[in-house]
Amino acid sequence: MSQPNSAHTPQLVTRDGDIIPDGWTLLADDDTTGADGPFILGFERALRELDSRNGHYGVRVLPADDIRLLEPFLEKITLIEVAFPGYRDGRGYSTARILREDLGFTGIVRAVGDVLRDQLFYMLRCGFDEFLVKDKDPSQAITSAAKRFQTVYQGAADTNRPAWALRHTQA
Amino acid sequence: MSATQSSAKMYKYDDFDHAFVRDRNIEFADQVARRLSGEITEDQFKPLRLMNGLYLQLHAYMLRIAVPYGVLSSKQMRKFAHIARTYDRDFGHFTTRQNLQFNWVKLAETPKILEELAQVEMHALQTSGNCIRNTTTDQFAGAARDEHSDPRPWAELIRQWSSNHPEFTFLPRKFKIAITGARKDRAAIRVHDIGLHAKPEGFDVYVGGGMGRTPSLGHCIRTGLAGEQLLSYLEACLRVYNRYGRRDNIYKARIKILVAALGPDEYKRQVEDEWARMDRAKVDAPVAEIERLKSYFPDPDFKVASFDRVAFERAQTADAAFARWIKNNTNPHKRDDHVSVTISLKPVGLPPGDASSAQMDVMADVADAFGYSELRVSHEQNIILPHVHKGDLYALYTQLDTVNLSTANVGKITDMIVCPGLDYCSLANARSIPLAQDISQRFEDAKLSDKIGDLQIKISGCINACGHHHVGHIGILGVDKQGIEFYQILLGGRADEKAALGVITGKGLPAEAVPAAIERVVRLYLELRTSDDERFIDTLERVGRETFAGALHEPA
Repeated sequence: MSQPNSAHTPQLVTRDGDIIPDGWTLLADDDTTGADGPFILGFERALRELDSRNGHYGVRVLPADDIRLLEPFLEKITLIEVAFPGYRDGRGYSTARILREDLGFTGIVRAVGDVLRDQLFYMLRCGFDEFLVKDKDPSQAITSAAKRFQTVYQGAADTNRPAWALRHTQA
Repeated sequence: MSATQSSAKMYKYDDFDHAFVRDRNIEFADQVARRLSGEITEDQFKPLRLMNGLYLQLHAYMLRIAVPYGVLSSKQMRKFAHIARTYDRDFGHFTTRQNLQFNWVKLAETPKILEELAQVEMHALQTSGNCIRNTTTDQFAGAARDEHSDPRPWAELIRQWSSNHPEFTFLPRKFKIAITGARKDRAAIRVHDIGLHAKPEGFDVYVGGGMGRTPSLGHCIRTGLAGEQLLSYLEACLRVYNRYGRRDNIYKARIKILVAALGPDEYKRQVEDEWARMDRAKVDAPVAEIERLKSYFPDPDFKVASFDRVAFERAQTADAAFARWIKNNTNPHKRDDHVSVTISLKPVGLPPGDASSAQMDVMADVADAFGYSELRVSHEQNIILPHVHKGDLYALYTQLDTVNLSTANVGKITDMIVCPGLDYCSLANARSIPLAQDISQRFEDAKLSDKIGDLQIKISGCINACGHHHVGHIGILGVDKQGIEFYQILLGGRADEKAALGVITGKGLPAEAVPAAIERVVRLYLELRTSDDERFIDTLERVGRETFAGALHEPA
């Protein structure tokens, strides 16, 4: 799924196609927070420390991390970064859907890592709303991904209605 | 022949389905253009083309076209003939996934082929890649006398749900679902990632079957699952697999490995937990949609004609070859005056599963004339006319005979499942097709073949088991021993409702020794069987495979 332009510097783009600055800092596990936030914690560290911390944090989630373990701390989390170390690893799609549809998370879900234009359609459907994309034109990539398919066949974490719902709406 | 042409009773695309395939084809045409212009490399193109069924084989690109659950109209079959003639070397190959492969297409022409396919509501999507593949089913669905639930509407429901599924397009490995609704399992559900048995009281769900390097039989994790909850249950099964299936080793990535590692009970617990938490109303199509899908699969308008039994029997007496074809190539139909006919694509000495464009045209013509315009592809790589009035059988047989499609060997020793092997595949160790040809020549004699009766030989050219050798009554596996092709023989496998895995018996054999070894095994069976009705597999199970081990090797 690599793109010819995947060598471009990653840029953060929203689901609406806006390029935005990244105001978050990923905190190394041995880094003590002293400077200004907002901070992103690693998954293990978040599990260890969020109980005793105040304020709002981001959490970086790797494919093997069980997102449901964050459930007790969700009110302190405003950003979840779901990492895709390689595009072939599809665990992050389940992570995002569980976050949105099962845990009811309403903060930002961001895809980072090997995020390429051909994956964006699926990510949009699974509930991601920010993407760190290596693409020449991230805005164009996201807007074209969003309208790539008129028909979807499943209910998911987005607002698209599956074909079966549309077929029986006005019957 | 078009005078009698009716419309096949099968699913028809509506605007949503047409739009989906159109959007996908536009996308792929753009990807091919980028590849041809050099904008993207072969490496970058590979995952994109694989999602559209385009493989790069030993000598050329191969395009694998989806035939949803093996159901075809005569119009679609004619389109295959046209594509074979126009874009390939005048033939196509029907696969064990009930699909069709064109082995010699040109990359630049693939968008055009996909456009032609879209005209007849077909595509090549999800015929490769780590996604949910074409759901397969009983080739006699809707026709078989032993059927209790028609699997086709459910297969169509699964087809749509699995199309471009946003969560399950990057699974650890490919994922295959099979569904049956009959007493006899002709869909091999226990050797699929998920096998479904549709019953009046609901679905039995089997998980974790498969072949390949680690063959295993699926475990039943649920019975009586309501049809209107099928999709959400499948979604829960897939989610657990997507999250926890291994991704570190391609050979341990299928769901059977996960189910074995967790144990079926623990896997089931996780699935049920996921299912309980899921917003099922969002996933499950409503009853109205299931009813809509069912409405596409009514019986055809069965021909009402008196069946002249006397003339039918006279024809069989006069033409022994016809009589033999009736005996071997027809399956009982739910109506007494009809049968299902299997057109064998296993003529002696030719590659199993291949059909020329001329043969495809004839199959389409006879489907229009005698079969309500409908055809099926079986996982045994044959073509089926599911509904044929008995009074039309002789005319049908005569037309098939003109293009070498009257081979009367269905279910017999020469009706083998065979992978493409070294002749096409870059993974294979062995030339499966020439070996199959050697074996079929040895059992060419019709009398001998009929005397042997039902016996399934399945041949794989490598451990990936595309030829289903684990579930052959006799399985043959090509292996590479220090650069030399060798064959291991497995005995006792079966894919039906008594599914079992074959066991390697005896030592490996060089290719030239295999046909004689098979013949010695078969001769021993003929000596040992208690009656003509005791099939090879029954004798084997009665006396044990060790009895046959000696026969595999030349007496010293």
